Amino acid sequence: MSNFARTLRQTLTIARRDFIATVFTPTFLLFLLAPVFMLGFGAVGGVGAASMAKSTEGKIRIVAIVPDSDRDALIAADRELRTLFRADEMPPPLFFERPGADPELQARALFASPHFDATAALFGPLGQPHILYSPPRERHGRYLEQLAEQALRSARLGSPRLVQARIEPVVRAATSSSGHGQAAFFTVFGLFMLSLMLSSQAVGTMAEERSNKVIEVLAAATPLESVFLGKLLGMFGVALLFLLFWGSIFTQIGQLLPGDIALALADVAPATGAVFPLLFFGYFTMSYMLLGAVFLSVGAQAATPREIQMLSLPITIFQMGMLGFAIAAASQPGSWVARAAEIFPFSSPFAMGARAANQPEIWPHLLALGWQALWVAITVTIGARLFRRGVLKSGGPKFRLKAMFGG
Amino acid sequence: MNLSSELAVSATGLVKRFGDRRAVDGVNIAVPKGLIYGVLGPNGAGKTTTLRMLLGIIEPEEGERMLLGHDRPRDASDRVGYLPEERGLYPGMKAKEAIAFMGALRGLPWKQGRKRAVALLEQAGLGHAADDKIRKLSKGMAQLVQLLGSVVHEPDLLVLDEPFSGLDPVNQERLEKLIRGQRDRGATILFSTHVMAHAERLCDRLSIIAGGKVRFEGSVDEARATLPLRAHYTPHHNPESAGTLLPADAERENGGWRFTVPPEGIETLLVRLIEAGHGISGLSIERPGLHDAFVKIVGAQALEQQEQAA
Repeated sequence: MSNFARTLRQTLTIARRDFIATVFTPTFLLFLLAPVFMLGFGAVGGVGAASMAKSTEGKIRIVAIVPDSDRDALIAADRELRTLFRADEMPPPLFFERPGADPELQARALFASPHFDATAALFGPLGQPHILYSPPRERHGRYLEQLAEQALRSARLGSPRLVQARIEPVVRAATSSSGHGQAAFFTVFGLFMLSLMLSSQAVGTMAEERSNKVIEVLAAATPLESVFLGKLLGMFGVALLFLLFWGSIFTQIGQLLPGDIALALADVAPATGAVFPLLFFGYFTMSYMLLGAVFLSVGAQAATPREIQMLSLPITIFQMGMLGFAIAAASQPGSWVARAAEIFPFSSPFAMGARAANQPEIWPHLLALGWQALWVAITVTIGARLFRRGVLKSGGPKFRLKAMFGG
Repeated sequence: MNLSSELAVSATGLVKRFGDRRAVDGVNIAVPKGLIYGVLGPNGAGKTTTLRMLLGIIEPEEGERMLLGHDRPRDASDRVGYLPEERGLYPGMKAKEAIAFMGALRGLPWKQGRKRAVALLEQAGLGHAADDKIRKLSKGMAQLVQLLGSVVHEPDLLVLDEPFSGLDPVNQERLEKLIRGQRDRGATILFSTHVMAHAERLCDRLSIIAGGKVRFEGSVDEARATLPLRAHYTPHHNPESAGTLLPADAERENGGWRFTVPPEGIETLLVRLIEAGHGISGLSIERPGLHDAFVKIVGAQALEQQEQAA
């Protein structure tokens, strides 16, 4: 058996052991269902926020202190203008009061009412209205101004609508550049989140071998590079299982999305088209392996769980740095920042993922994947050597590529 | 015939430093194929470091080594079994899986490994624990499981570092039997120990290491022969005055005398004792044990170190 075949077999043996030891445990279920907890907490928070919003919903209002003759025109204008707003941006409902002896005093009294929260009030003639608002709700005051404007225009022109437009949706034949930009952002963010959640687990994996002394058995039977790579592959298998599980669920959810949301998302399309999922998977693999190799190497030097915990902060900061670098690259495609992020090995998977969304060329990706794979090998080799020197107290053997891959 | 082809393990001038200390200081070792070879030495002598260098776990700073004909120990790893001094198994694994895993690392297919694991566990009297997780086993049982893991792929060379430590007498006996069984199968066994009784019973050849250097290399008999024979003589008459005829190192013991047999033999001395009228009530000639030889060799090294320090 050639050295390469033996090394590969040993690597896969270690990967298999790690995969099985991780997946066939009750804690894996917790890991797999972690997003449910995340979504659950999010939902609870959302329900809380919604109920708070609902409790104040009936109380917030804008008020027009106008004679009955102006009321219908304002109602019509309000109905027209509200169609321009999304539900979460909708102004509060419009209420009316008949003007008293002193409309200004009447308007100011509205803001002191214990029964409702007036955010803006209009009084005076529609051509020169006086509008009060409670900061920071100037927008509500401006809305009352627009109502007056619209009502007066309608009254003077004699028709509520001069234009009878036909409005219909169009599906783009080609994706927009803003759609590419959005896709690039989602790509970087998606890769980052997946790497953050999954690859940082590698930091503690060597601790098991160190604490139960199995490392001596492994080191005697296999090169440490195989041990490191095997552990990375084992954990990557776990990550893939996680992705498959949630990927299939989200695909099903995607098919249930309302048509207008699906249409909106259709514009968020990468420039590389159908090849993009493959590239995304490739860059996820590389980001996982690269960051995982760094975490594994750093974590392997830690002697205690406390040291591993201490290492978590610099590791997270490092990841955040890579995210910032890649987002800067995604927002400025073709710039020197983008080029630097694409070349720097640890930000390269994120930045190249963004490039796959922004630009249609395929060949740079083949080059980038090769470059990143080389850095995975370099990182694993350095990690194994540091472990050999620092933990096994051994000087490393001379690097012999031929001996590793030769017969 | 090429001598190296007759050797399972050979090393010349192995050196390893930890800081300023030379843990292994020019060790030479030659282990013929098919023998049980012991590496003996006191604690901290450099036995484990030597074995780890031979196996390629750590790299020597100087020296050459050959393992089953390969100058890179990794190239022979599938033909080697190893039980480290610090035992280690995955606690969540079943006993038979742990054995199969260790075999798989050395090239044995999993399925075959599991079958052999069950058979080996049966032979070792642990058949009932095949499906038990390691964390459920006693320390001795776990140690046996690890040992079985080191032989499951039927290695040509079995390296055992302090294999008897932590085992009760029954399991020590089992282990000795297993080691002999491996030798009978044709494997070479290289093991380290500081317990002389096991080495004396098992070893065909041995090295005694102390202070990072090999102080003795040879068979058990040759080790014993580094010390002269001892005699215990009980006179029939006047035991006190018989001492004047005996060698200078003679000491009273149990109503008789114990002394070193002179280089020319004991016959002349016996004739003199009989002629002087002491007669012979009892006489026994004792060969020194490996323990005595070990103490002498290691003691000489300690003396040497003291002199160097002075």
